[in-house]
Amino acid sequence: MTTTTPTRPGPQVDDRDDARVDTSTRGAWRVVMNREIVVRALNRTFLVGLLVSVAIIAALAGFLAWQGSKTDSFTVAVTAGDTAATAAVEAAGAVPEDQGGGAEIDTVEVADDAAARTALTDGDADAWLHPADGSDGGWVLTGESDPDSTLTRQLTTAVAGQTLETNAEAAGTSVAELTAGGTLSTDRLDGDAVDSQTLFFASFALALLFFIGALGSGQMIAGSVVEEKQSRLVEIMATAVPLRHLLAGKILGSSVVALAQNVVFAAVGLVALSFTPTASILPALSTSLVWFVLFFAVGFLGLAALYAVAGALASRAEDLQHTTTPMTMAIMGVYFLTFSASGTFETVLSYVPVANVVSMPVRVLSGDAAWWEPILSLLILAAFAVVALLVGERAYRGALLQTGGRLSWKSALATRA
Amino acid sequence: MDNDSLEVRGLTRTFGDLTAVDDVSFTAPPGLLTGFVGGNGAGKTTTMRMIMGVLAPTRGEVRCGGAPVTRADRRSFGYMPEERGLYPKQPVLDQLVYLARLRGISAPKARAEVLDMLDRLGLAGRSKEHVEKLSLGNQQRVQIVAALMGAPRLLVLDEPFSGLDPAAVDGMVDLLAEHTDRGVPVLFSSHQLDLVERLCERLVILKAGRVMADGAPRDLQQAGALRHRLVVEGDAGWVRGVPGVHAVDVDGPVALLELADDASLQRLLAVGLERGVVRELTPLRPTLAQIYREVTA
Repeated sequence: MTTTTPTRPGPQVDDRDDARVDTSTRGAWRVVMNREIVVRALNRTFLVGLLVSVAIIAALAGFLAWQGSKTDSFTVAVTAGDTAATAAVEAAGAVPEDQGGGAEIDTVEVADDAAARTALTDGDADAWLHPADGSDGGWVLTGESDPDSTLTRQLTTAVAGQTLETNAEAAGTSVAELTAGGTLSTDRLDGDAVDSQTLFFASFALALLFFIGALGSGQMIAGSVVEEKQSRLVEIMATAVPLRHLLAGKILGSSVVALAQNVVFAAVGLVALSFTPTASILPALSTSLVWFVLFFAVGFLGLAALYAVAGALASRAEDLQHTTTPMTMAIMGVYFLTFSASGTFETVLSYVPVANVVSMPVRVLSGDAAWWEPILSLLILAAFAVVALLVGERAYRGALLQTGGRLSWKSALATRA
Repeated sequence: MDNDSLEVRGLTRTFGDLTAVDDVSFTAPPGLLTGFVGGNGAGKTTTMRMIMGVLAPTRGEVRCGGAPVTRADRRSFGYMPEERGLYPKQPVLDQLVYLARLRGISAPKARAEVLDMLDRLGLAGRSKEHVEKLSLGNQQRVQIVAALMGAPRLLVLDEPFSGLDPAAVDGMVDLLAEHTDRGVPVLFSSHQLDLVERLCERLVILKAGRVMADGAPRDLQQAGALRHRLVVEGDAGWVRGVPGVHAVDVDGPVALLELADDASLQRLLAVGLERGVVRELTPLRPTLAQIYREVTA
């Protein structure tokens, strides 16, 4: 092989002779990958960001756990001798949690109405339950200001039940007879256990994980590419190893870091979640997270290649903001679309590369996806990643050794040896 | 032709309509410092990038050791690009070892070699410092270490002395001398003509992408019309009558002369001695700056 070549228009890189590459360059990508991982992992900004994120996740879960375990307790004043009020308060305390109850309710007897008002203003009682004035009966719950909504709800249920019972007895029948056949329970064909609120929270969390991981690590790759280009280190390295080794090492290194970061976040989130009342969704969520990590790993390979090109198109660090804009927009778009999507739109998104990194795991969590759907979607994503890697490698090599100003994708792809 | 020379043959590079390097041919012999001189935009950097394979030539070839240069060959070339830098936030030693490992040198071997070179450049105590904390001169020393690691077969250095103080230049020259002593061809570009004149055993002058002169500085100096200065006792006006002698200027006893050949020189001397006392007859060697101005004019 010789270096004599026919005329070709445009700048190009002398990147031939691959057939004669010294066997020792074969492991070069590993040397590059190791450096990317070490430099990134020891980067103070990255470490601080990681620790802060983990702390936020743990704190959030801790707050949820505390909220869940906390039992409200109230003291309700009743006038001495008002057995009906006492019974109603006792019944309210017994309303089970799934019917809107759960708070502890104590009774404190007061001598008369005046004493009750004093107890309220002094803070000895949270509310005062007493019969309404007038002949049509009913009850009044008086607080110093608005009585607590949980307390009101529980007492409303209890009072209604008690009244129903009294009235039924007076009419010669029973509550059971009156309400027979009048219950309504819900059921769903997919037999799903995850409610829509949890689902929204989970999709928001996955979209955020994707956003942080893809944007953070993507910018990191672009930055490290332009750093080498600007300092001409890449010219020294290009004489030592084929450029695709450099790219491969970079992509793999930052993918490992991005993935590790997401695994840490997911693990901390899952462990934290197991201490909260939502622990019941853990098995379903774990499956979904495994899919997410898998999708992210595949999708990020493609994104990383495109980010490397964005770095190579720049000539100095200041150009990065411009060259990475399309990538940033795409990732922000995925973030906003996926956590708010639902229905058919979500189904479509769950097949669209990069958006499916978030949408498909969410559909797996909601039980909406058939077993083959994530597999098909992952294959589509893998195809995207392969195309992005091939095109990216070409543009990276075309742009990396060209100096002087910002380059366009077109000129990067057109100029290659 | 010595097998270890760097040979550049008919190297041409066009960028659109612009021909940056136009049919450039020269040889950098082993064991010699070859200076690559030319103004801004003369094509020095483009030529060096083609030699290193960073840029593909439009035409022409680069040979080393008698055969066309391959990628594997280039792994053993030391290269210092222009407008260079390093990883600003990585320690000196770490990044030099990294660059060495990319060239296939094992980590322990690279470490030992790098530490030794840093020591000799007075940077031993600073191997763990981040590059951005070093002065520009010291950063340049680190860059030269990057080029010299692993006993390269050829050195291509683009403006290696720019920004260095005289002591640092001497240190780097000493370091380069070790490599020329091993028989390595060294090609370096520079704007500092006095430095090139002092250091180079060989010179290639480039202008607008073409080689204007190529050879040993002494040969280049003699290639031009060599002038002589003659000082006699009394008036030197008689020199105008000597065949083969062109008097550029006669001022009393001092004459500035251009001689057609060696015979004219002997004739001039004989006539002069016949007429009286010859105090001085000196060849006037043009400085490199003069040659440069002449060939690139």
